[in-house]
Amino acid sequence: MTARLAWAIAAKDLRVERRSKAALSAALPFATTMLLSFGFALGPGRLLLVQAAPGLLWLAGLLAALDLFSRSYQAEADGGCLEGLLLSPVDRGAIYLGKAAAVAVQVAVLFTLTGALTVALFGLPLGSSPALLAATAVLGITGLAALGSLFGLLTALGRTRQAALPLLILPLATPVLIAAIRACALLSAGSTDQVAGWLGVLAAFDAVLLATGYLVYGHLLED
Amino acid sequence: MAHQPEPARSRAHRAGTPGPEPSDAAVSLRDVTRLFDGLPAISAVSLDVVVGETVWLRGPNGSGKSTLLRVVATALSPTFGTGTVLGDDLVRARDRIRARVEYLGHQTRLYADLTAAENLRFTCALYGLDPRAVPGALAMTGLDAVGDVRVGAFSQGMRQRLALARAAMRDADLLLLDEPYAGLDVDARAIVDDLLTRARTLGRTVLLASHEAPADGLVDRAVELDAGRVVLPVRERNRPRRAPREPVREALREPAWEPVPEGLP
Repeated sequence: MTARLAWAIAAKDLRVERRSKAALSAALPFATTMLLSFGFALGPGRLLLVQAAPGLLWLAGLLAALDLFSRSYQAEADGGCLEGLLLSPVDRGAIYLGKAAAVAVQVAVLFTLTGALTVALFGLPLGSSPALLAATAVLGITGLAALGSLFGLLTALGRTRQAALPLLILPLATPVLIAAIRACALLSAGSTDQVAGWLGVLAAFDAVLLATGYLVYGHLLED
Repeated sequence: MAHQPEPARSRAHRAGTPGPEPSDAAVSLRDVTRLFDGLPAISAVSLDVVVGETVWLRGPNGSGKSTLLRVVATALSPTFGTGTVLGDDLVRARDRIRARVEYLGHQTRLYADLTAAENLRFTCALYGLDPRAVPGALAMTGLDAVGDVRVGAFSQGMRQRLALARAAMRDADLLLLDEPYAGLDVDARAIVDDLLTRARTLGRTVLLASHEAPADGLVDRAVELDAGRVVLPVRERNRPRRAPREPVREALREPAWEPVPEGLP
């Protein structure tokens, strides 16, 4: 039941975003501008660019995603749809998981495009283990989406201003960011020795963030 | 899921038997107050509505009609006071209430980037309804030809019709309508009247907040709100036809309205 409802909510959100392109159309130019700016700031030294690229990719992706998180609730805020969700007799956790899944897909699209740009601009090598790289991306994006869906709700409810969203999210996203950057840096350098440890850190944070979101979402949503 | 109400018993209540017993009460509020920033939107409201009854909430702007409906819908929690809706506690059993209540408020709660049919199908997913009911609901509200059009292209009246289609599709035990006639043309107003008639026929309970008088015979009684308080419940005896143009408190002085004796809802 929870999975079916979460799927219905995620499918609805993705259909709305596919038609409106409200979130990605704002986030993508922002991430692109950031990466270009970093590239010019660091200069033409190839070694420095390659070393900095994993960090720049995740930082640009996260900062661009902050806007996407609040925009993911725009359709709910317009026309009182959020109240419609509130008044439906469904598992609040299912609403959260559905919203988080839709945000995760959007963030994945954002990271795919910015990742491709990073490879092209900075010459970031993808390493020899695409499966581990994909696992890093999936776990990192899941953690960010889990946070973003939870705190994006607060801006939609008007309990916090959109400007305060980074203050709430960035401290909690830092462990996810560090683990994802370290795993990516190791993989792009061709090493897989310590990657499993960082993936474990990511998985642990994801589990904690998703469980917290699932449990507290209903309390935030209620009056 | 929804229990069947007992219209005949309810009608007997309206005929003048003493206040509702717990099993008869669709809505029972006791001294409910809701504060916003320390100011009361409704204040110490006590209200009983029996199952199968249609009650018209009247009052000037800011009198607390919408807040009262939203409290009953469980969109807002009472700051003080207690109450039950369809036998369930207003605060502790909100999900059980929500499964049996449809609230149509000022906002239509529609996704502009989804089509009319997609919006209704999403409602089906949320409430576990059969999506095959969607074409019928669209046809009932005259929107069958635009079912595949995005709601963002709809006028306010069409959105209101679609919200009415959602309400009709849900067939809830308690229907809460907040200014349902606002912005509707003559045909669409007939849809609201049909919804009220159908609810009455099926023994559903309706709370209707409106500045306009519903058509003749559609409501059982009116409750007047002023400054967040119930000022005088009135019982319909020989109600005039639709839309008395005088202010509602003037209407209360008309001999067509008979004050309810002490102790009655």
